[in-house]
Amino acid sequence: MSDLAALVVALPIFGSLVAFLAALVRSKSGWPVAVVATVAQLAVAATLAARAFGEGTISYVVGGFEAPYGIELVVDGLTATMLVLIAAVSLGVLAYARRAGPRSNPFYAVFMLLVAGLTGMSVTADLFNMYVFLEITGLAAYALVASGDRGRSAVAALKYLLVGTVGASLFLLGVGYAYIDTGTLNMADLAAKLAANGYSATLTQTAFALIVVGLFIKVAVFPLHTWQPDAYAGAPDTVSGLISALVSTVAAYALLRVVFTVFGTAFLDANPFAHGLLVGGAIISILLGSLLAVSQSEVKRMLAYSSVSQFGLIVAAISIGNVTALTGAAIHLVGHAIMKGGLFLTAGLVATETGARRVDEYEGLVKRSPVGAGVFGVLAVAMVGVPPTIGFAGKWYIAVGAAEAGAWTLLAVIVGSTLLTLAYFARLVERMFFREPSADLEPAVERVEAVPDGGDATESDAVEASLGMYAAVVAAAVLSVALGFAVFGYGDVLQSTIEALLS
Amino acid sequence: MTDITSLRPLAAVLVSAVAVVPILASYRRPNLREGWTVLAAVLKLVLVASMVPAALRGDVYVTDLGPFVPYIDFTLRADALGLLFALVASTLWLVTSFYSIGYMRGLDEHSQTRYFAAFAGSVSSAVGVAFASNLVVLYLFYELLTVATYPLVAHDETDEARAAGRKYLAYTFGGGVAVLGGTLLVVHLAGTTAFTAGGIAGLANSDPTLARVAFALLVTGFGVKAALMPLHSWLPDAMVAPTPVSGLLHAVAVVKSGVFGVARVLLDVFGIDLVAELGVGGVLAAIAAFTLLTASVIALRQDNLKRRLAFSTVSQLSYIVLGIAVGGAAALGTGDAAKWALIGGLLHIPAHAFMKLTLFFCAGAVHVETHTDDISNMAGIGKRMPLTMGAFAVAAAGMAGIPLVAGFVSKYFLLIGTVSSGSLLFTVALLVSGVLNIAYFWPVVYTAFFETPERSDEKPLVEANLGGYFGREARADGGHEETATAGHDDGRGHGNGNGHGHAAGWERFAPNGSESTWFMLGPILFAAAGSVVLGVVPDTAVFLQVVREIVAGATAMGVVV
Repeated sequence: MSDLAALVVALPIFGSLVAFLAALVRSKSGWPVAVVATVAQLAVAATLAARAFGEGTISYVVGGFEAPYGIELVVDGLTATMLVLIAAVSLGVLAYARRAGPRSNPFYAVFMLLVAGLTGMSVTADLFNMYVFLEITGLAAYALVASGDRGRSAVAALKYLLVGTVGASLFLLGVGYAYIDTGTLNMADLAAKLAANGYSATLTQTAFALIVVGLFIKVAVFPLHTWQPDAYAGAPDTVSGLISALVSTVAAYALLRVVFTVFGTAFLDANPFAHGLLVGGAIISILLGSLLAVSQSEVKRMLAYSSVSQFGLIVAAISIGNVTALTGAAIHLVGHAIMKGGLFLTAGLVATETGARRVDEYEGLVKRSPVGAGVFGVLAVAMVGVPPTIGFAGKWYIAVGAAEAGAWTLLAVIVGSTLLTLAYFARLVERMFFREPSADLEPAVERVEAVPDGGDATESDAVEASLGMYAAVVAAAVLSVALGFAVFGYGDVLQSTIEALLS
Repeated sequence: MTDITSLRPLAAVLVSAVAVVPILASYRRPNLREGWTVLAAVLKLVLVASMVPAALRGDVYVTDLGPFVPYIDFTLRADALGLLFALVASTLWLVTSFYSIGYMRGLDEHSQTRYFAAFAGSVSSAVGVAFASNLVVLYLFYELLTVATYPLVAHDETDEARAAGRKYLAYTFGGGVAVLGGTLLVVHLAGTTAFTAGGIAGLANSDPTLARVAFALLVTGFGVKAALMPLHSWLPDAMVAPTPVSGLLHAVAVVKSGVFGVARVLLDVFGIDLVAELGVGGVLAAIAAFTLLTASVIALRQDNLKRRLAFSTVSQLSYIVLGIAVGGAAALGTGDAAKWALIGGLLHIPAHAFMKLTLFFCAGAVHVETHTDDISNMAGIGKRMPLTMGAFAVAAAGMAGIPLVAGFVSKYFLLIGTVSSGSLLFTVALLVSGVLNIAYFWPVVYTAFFETPERSDEKPLVEANLGGYFGREARADGGHEETATAGHDDGRGHGNGNGHGHAAGWERFAPNGSESTWFMLGPILFAAAGSVVLGVVPDTAVFLQVVREIVAGATAMGVVV
């Protein structure tokens, strides 16, 4: 089918609608609908990826309205990676959520809406369309964060909404300025017209700055990250796993797309300030994200600050801008999604089994929750960047890219980030394996039910961890090590996409 | 030099990694669990030993798994230098496995399954370090070695053990970061990091300053595990680990991987000719000489036997680094100085391993049987443990360089190398260090055999207060003795201070093995015998042959000495 590019966006929207309406037929039927829709989504994404990597970039115009007036959807190697990642991670989170997560139909409707927004952001080649999907993603994410049943979730969601809307608005403003500058919204057309205008017009530079800062807020680059620790820690565990793995990841993908497809390396060369903005954001995020993570006493907040630091690495790769570095960015986006999503789901598993949420409650975890402690240890080692995990592979590519480009400060910071990551993960690993459990904690302190129909949430099965939960986290751990060996092949197939990005 | 494609190098690395799973699964059946460890150790030794004859001929077993990340192929090569380390590690792992059984059961230790599993993982990583064919694969196994050995350092789960574990992680990961930085720089300069006998060609043609920076980063990174001062302080603290861990890992596998890394950098990344041109060999030799003297002096003060052995290890590792560095510094000179120094340094890897393992095993056996850790409590313990302390005496003699034990052979080559190269300062340092070795080992032997708990002499080096700046707290106390600080014969402290011996004296055992379990005595006697064999017939015991093969390749002088 040649309409697969449009189908991959339409399918989750349709799934969302079905999940919502299915409540009329049978309550608590959201989960099966979501699973069916996501499996179908994965199949479509995989087909698109096979075609994009095998035959070359796929282009599709929506509704027959030709570009640059209509909306164009483009699937190149990078987009294909994102599509498969979104579908696969959503499936993993759904496996986790079968017993753990909220069970209401509206929850799964919003879940599928988030998947639709993320997919749309990845596949679109129109800048305003990207804004639309950015907002859909944002709104769905705010609602998911708020779906926990404690006041903390609501406050976290409100903070996320306020900060996120500012970010999206800045993005829109930047898109508007770009439109004024060139008269078009299609990315490829924008690139051509911006190049023709020359890169020194104030309007162009302002457009760049606004879009990048707006995306920095969505990616949670220091100091625009303040919504992230509250949102990740306050959300239900299922939601934390999903949004930590996907939302900032796709926002970083959008940053990559805007910087290279729309503005291009020539723009960065002509505007050293723009380049400096990226480098500065990267270095500060890497350093301060790690330092703040070390001082956290709650595990999910620590993981959130860890994300700030890891996305600093991605922004560093963007600022370096050569083939090796951008391949590393793609690898690290995938790797970090798997590792961080896995870590959040493991934190949820541990909390379900033992009630431990704070760092000092993790003492002796290996005795109370052996699978949880083991998986957490493996994922922590992967995040630190011990070879041959995928965490090392991504970092290696980015570091080699920095060495090739002669960016020595960035190289020192990237290599040093290993030690900083070690600092906050080692204390958890030590506590889990080499200390005795201290106090007795009640399992499943956090109850995750948003029940709009006012019925009783079943208490009894919220205490045991289900097979789906174990499967999801173990799969994340296994993938984080196994994919480390597949990166070279992946780098090969991605090469033509990256070279096209940089030309 | 032909390459034989084979799975043997990969198999040798993976045998013990694969064994981790059955070891963990047999946690309820200790004998089965220990059986897996022994089986894996035997298999590993057989695999490694089978590759030695080929390497001596110049053929190398290679496993090539294809590209891993850009610029790097995941290849394992069992060349002569790699086999030197791998042979030492696998032989001594078999020996240590038996010793561990005796030790852990003798003390009824907790978490034995975790211990044996982590041990298997560590030796797997060590052999991986040995067979790595380029800097990145070496870095990969180097980091895995840290991860695998951390549970062993923190095994006791006391505050002290956890603090030692944290320090160990901080130092070794810091070293790993330096190695990563150096590796990236080498990639930038030369486009590859594959080990080439005689050095990577691209490096020789690159900017000397950047090459020196890369050298400094790599040597610093590996120097952490090689316990070069001032990066050594993790090692004495890691002595809180169980004795087999201190023995195999911190006298054989972990620290030898550090000196092995240094050897690879000097011989196969830079090549000794480039090292001599860049002038960095002399600097490294100076640091090594400083370390070997200072660590010997500090060892004089230690009352805890394992800490004394730890500082002795720090000192002896620098013998190896000194040999390699002098080999580098003297490469462009006339004569064979570089060859002798290299042979001495590299031969010291197996020589020191056997001797130090004997010493640690003895310390552990003493701990299990009598719960004595401090030398001041060991008066007359030779009656209680004659075979153990006899082996200790033999190994200690070797450490000091007495002929007929392994240490003499390597030291002989080192001395000749340093004299021929003209750097007499290093020769003097080696000779002084030999005297200091006697100075800190002889009291242990003397106390064990020639003293009794009722009648023992003062140990002023260990017990007396330091003067000057270091002794100010003691003076403020009114001159009470502190056993924590060491010193000169400044104030004659009372010799009958702390706990000299037991009131009842030691039980007397005959030297027929009744003093302890054969699980521990066997390995002790094997390692001591190994030290003697290596000292009497080093070529037949294969290690010297391997070393000569390495040096022939590294110096490209063609003729094997």
